[in-house]
Amino acid sequence: MAKYGMLIDSTLCIGCRGCSVACKQWNDLPATKTRNTGTYQNPPALSAYTWTNIEYREVEASDRLVWAFLKRACMHCEHPACVSVCPVQALHKLETGPVVYEANRCIGCRYCMMACPFGIPKVDLNQVLPVISKCNFCADRVSNGLPPACAKTCPPGAIRFGERDQLVVEAEARIAKNPGKYVNHVYGKEEVGGTSILYLSAIPFDQLGLPDVGTESVPALSDAMAVVGTPTALVTVAAALMGAFWVSRRRVELASQQQTADLFSRRRAELADQQQTADQEKEAKQ
Amino acid sequence: MTNDWLDIKNSNCVLIIGSNAAENHPASFVWINKAREKGAKLVVVDPRFTRSAAAADFYAPLRPGTDIVFLGALINYAIQNKLYQEEYVKAYTNALTLVHPDYKGPADLDGYFSGFDKDKKTYSSTTWQYQTEKVKVKVKGKDASGNEVEVEKEASVPKQAGSLDDPNCAFALLKSHYARYTPEMVERICGTPQEQFLEVAKLFCATGAPDKSGTILYAMGQTQHTVGTQNVRAMAVLQLLLGNIGVPGGGVNALRGESNVQGSTDMALLFNDLPGYLGLPSDAQADLKTYSAKFDATSYWSNGPRFFVSLTKAWFGNAATKDNDYAFQYLPKTSGNYSWIPLFEAMYSGKIQGLICMGQNPAVCGPNARLERAGLGKLKWMVVMDLFETETASFWRAPGVDPKSIQTEVFLLPAADAMEKAGSIVTSGRRIQWRPKVASAPGVAKEDIWIITQFVKALNELYRGSTDARDRPILDLVWDYGDPPDVELVAREINGYALDNVVDATGKVLVEKGKIIPSFATIASAANPDVIACGAWIYSGYFVPADDGEGKSLPAAKRRGQKDPGELGMYPFWGFAWPANRHILYNRASARPDGTPWSENKKLIWWDRDKKQWTGYDVPDFAATKAPDAAANPVGVGLAAQAGTDPFIMKADGKGWLFAPKGLSEGPLPEHYEPIESPVKNPLSGVQNNPVVKVWATDKGKGIGDNVSTVDKFPIVCTTYRLAEHWQAGAMSRNLPWLAEAQPELFIEISKELAQEKGIRAGEKVVVSSARGQIEAVAVVTIRFKPLMVDGKKIHQIGMPWHFGWQGIATGPVANDLTPHVGDGNTMIPEYKAFLVDVRKA
Repeated sequence: MAKYGMLIDSTLCIGCRGCSVACKQWNDLPATKTRNTGTYQNPPALSAYTWTNIEYREVEASDRLVWAFLKRACMHCEHPACVSVCPVQALHKLETGPVVYEANRCIGCRYCMMACPFGIPKVDLNQVLPVISKCNFCADRVSNGLPPACAKTCPPGAIRFGERDQLVVEAEARIAKNPGKYVNHVYGKEEVGGTSILYLSAIPFDQLGLPDVGTESVPALSDAMAVVGTPTALVTVAAALMGAFWVSRRRVELASQQQTADLFSRRRAELADQQQTADQEKEAKQ
Repeated sequence: MTNDWLDIKNSNCVLIIGSNAAENHPASFVWINKAREKGAKLVVVDPRFTRSAAAADFYAPLRPGTDIVFLGALINYAIQNKLYQEEYVKAYTNALTLVHPDYKGPADLDGYFSGFDKDKKTYSSTTWQYQTEKVKVKVKGKDASGNEVEVEKEASVPKQAGSLDDPNCAFALLKSHYARYTPEMVERICGTPQEQFLEVAKLFCATGAPDKSGTILYAMGQTQHTVGTQNVRAMAVLQLLLGNIGVPGGGVNALRGESNVQGSTDMALLFNDLPGYLGLPSDAQADLKTYSAKFDATSYWSNGPRFFVSLTKAWFGNAATKDNDYAFQYLPKTSGNYSWIPLFEAMYSGKIQGLICMGQNPAVCGPNARLERAGLGKLKWMVVMDLFETETASFWRAPGVDPKSIQTEVFLLPAADAMEKAGSIVTSGRRIQWRPKVASAPGVAKEDIWIITQFVKALNELYRGSTDARDRPILDLVWDYGDPPDVELVAREINGYALDNVVDATGKVLVEKGKIIPSFATIASAANPDVIACGAWIYSGYFVPADDGEGKSLPAAKRRGQKDPGELGMYPFWGFAWPANRHILYNRASARPDGTPWSENKKLIWWDRDKKQWTGYDVPDFAATKAPDAAANPVGVGLAAQAGTDPFIMKADGKGWLFAPKGLSEGPLPEHYEPIESPVKNPLSGVQNNPVVKVWATDKGKGIGDNVSTVDKFPIVCTTYRLAEHWQAGAMSRNLPWLAEAQPELFIEISKELAQEKGIRAGEKVVVSSARGQIEAVAVVTIRFKPLMVDGKKIHQIGMPWHFGWQGIATGPVANDLTPHVGDGNTMIPEYKAFLVDVRKA
């Protein structure tokens, strides 16, 4: 089965927001009331009702102006932290790539919000039983052979949907074919162990708004603890405690045996003494 | 467009000037990006660093209203550095044609061209005409007895110079005219640093090479100026010099602003035109004969009178006969300028009783909108046909208006949306696509043709039995589309059909009675063209069943064939590009004079010596069997008067016009004049503004009136523009929650420098004022606008989108309350793009 991803070439993005409107339409998400706070960026951030958003950043380099557009949404990590930490297994990574969730199972603990290195899951506080929500890679479309709504609508073709491995190759080919145009890095190839969503950029990724999250997957850290460390620790401690218990119990047992043995030998000694005394008295009477 | 959207992918350099394609035509970036994958560069020139500039390889700023300086300097650069495609220029343009010896230009007359009448404020174009010479031509004819004789006829032809160095040839005049347009001048007038201008010049003028082509994409940033027409002329001249007309990846390409505005201009929804750009007769053209004489006899326009007759036959049927000049007198004639601005001036002066406003929102989109809304209040009645209750429909209860003070009776007719009716629309690339109805209109909303049909029925009822000759145009109107009207019957009429058997000169039947005609060539070649009804000659062929490349036959505009021979993005089996499914106009110019392509990688059509016809990837925009070495017949009619090396078949001399002897009010060559409201004195010449432009002065000095902002009170240059998230006057987008969420309020974009000077912080409210009004908006402080150094003076600029009004979910003040009531010297399109304002904290 193919494993899908999306390549977002931010040099091709024109910030038109077709993607965020298509997402809202496909997923029946409501619009929110917004104000212009001095920027094109609206809604201001991801939320329970906004699963993808364009962020606008102005950068003045020495020789040119840059107006950078970042499409922010769930990265659909290969080794999702959210999946790993969810106590009720409400989040799953599908074989085809999407990290999906079942709102029915969510208990609103927000552990996933804390665990996600990209700050993606958002909670809907307007519900009586708050649950989290996020981009689900249009898993319903993808499983029917259709591209996600955002990729389908992107007018300039900045979002490319396809098999993740092929997209990595494509991204690296673009960098090679256009020396000096891109930062020499495919963001998401190895970030936190690899993500389904990949980015290319002309400016440093932190200036684009993507965090430096390292290459180690978040669950790898907890996996090391949970899968190896904790059982090992448990077993070792259990064994040590069991050993100590056995030793202690044996000592008690031995001590008790010794006590009994001492008791018997004292009694035998006593009886021996008594017998000797009785024998001496009998000899004296004859 | 001379070319098409998909053709952009064939370009080596895409120049976006006077357009923000990424913002307003995001889909165009598919093709721009395909071109860039092949190494093409994207260059953006704009007062502001836009979303298009963000994607560009190179950006240069320029002051609003100074495009002719920039383009003229590119022309000068191409000439001085010999980057023009010399063979193309000599063969296909009027470069070598000699101009009247008394012609003088602005270099000699300090800003004027020869022939200006200062009182009438008009030019006489006598000194702009070609020099001509008489040639004698031997013509075979028949004498009275029927014997073949050779007769000598005399004709007048444009006189040609021996070389481009002849000081009176068009090229030399062009060269000396633009010699004043130097990189220094660009820096001085446009505020563009010289190195940035030179980088643009280097990138774009490299497309003068025969194996390279460059495309210019433009929109309202070029047209919405008092010199708008000349802006477009300047682009045309540059592209002719670089050999970029008629070739893949080239062209002068207008990005039309609505999905069917191309259709609206084709069908002449303009006061002074007729469908197919025939031009409405004027008062001075008293009869058909006089009107017909205006069409060039030596270009394809020689068929103009035939197309006119087929039009009136479509409209009036049997009531249009030879005896009544084919109903020539039924048509209204222009006796003045009834374009938008004069219309609203007349309305404001109480001269207009009623207005039917179809899919238009003048309350938001009109220049000097406060004056125009006041004009609406002077009407007795107004009918608004629209999808929503727009600001125009509700002008009588706008914020601050007391409904009791308005006497206008307003009728709001709900109209069906584009998806709720079948019909055709035309893209910027002239491609006509038929669309079916896919949804039902809500409530009692109706299609436009139904509404108009009810008008016609009611008017016929009202006029029935009248004997007044003035009422014949209503009573004789042919309206046989059914009830309810069938749009496909309208389409058939627009395509053209035979009212009776159409025959050629030998009597052979070309088209049977009742059948649709295959193309406008039928009208041109018929012996009896007055039996043809055709609603728009340029569309002819669009509704004729044609092969979709996959074996299906259906009306051409309905086709969705996927084949693309040549892989140039032409998709000849998809829809129908007028004229005659030609996708790149003037494509004869893609081949050398000898008929072989200029370059293998830019080949489009070429001469097939064996089949003796033009062949290739596009329908030839040329007589299909005319050899490349065919001689012109100076006494011939129509295209016979043009040679096999004359690609510009709609021009009397078959050449592309570097120098334009006619057609333009203010001169044969584009010359820079400042916008009516400018912060500086014109550094280029002693003529400050376009001398033919009318500046209205109604109620000047009053609160609402034609007041002009002057730089002492209003020192900041302002421009208006559009956003990706909103649509024109806003009814369709400000009523959609997701779009209202993305762009909820009116804002201005203001430079960090100006914001600092005024103590304005991002997100704060500001007041923007002009001589015509003031509005409040949010400040978006940005590095993407910068002050410009103009003629030694620091000039600040701001800009704002104009989509907002008081109706809908996302509301805001009307930006057009600030814009001036002045328009272009030829088209009268308002100067929305450059005017003066002041800004302060709210």
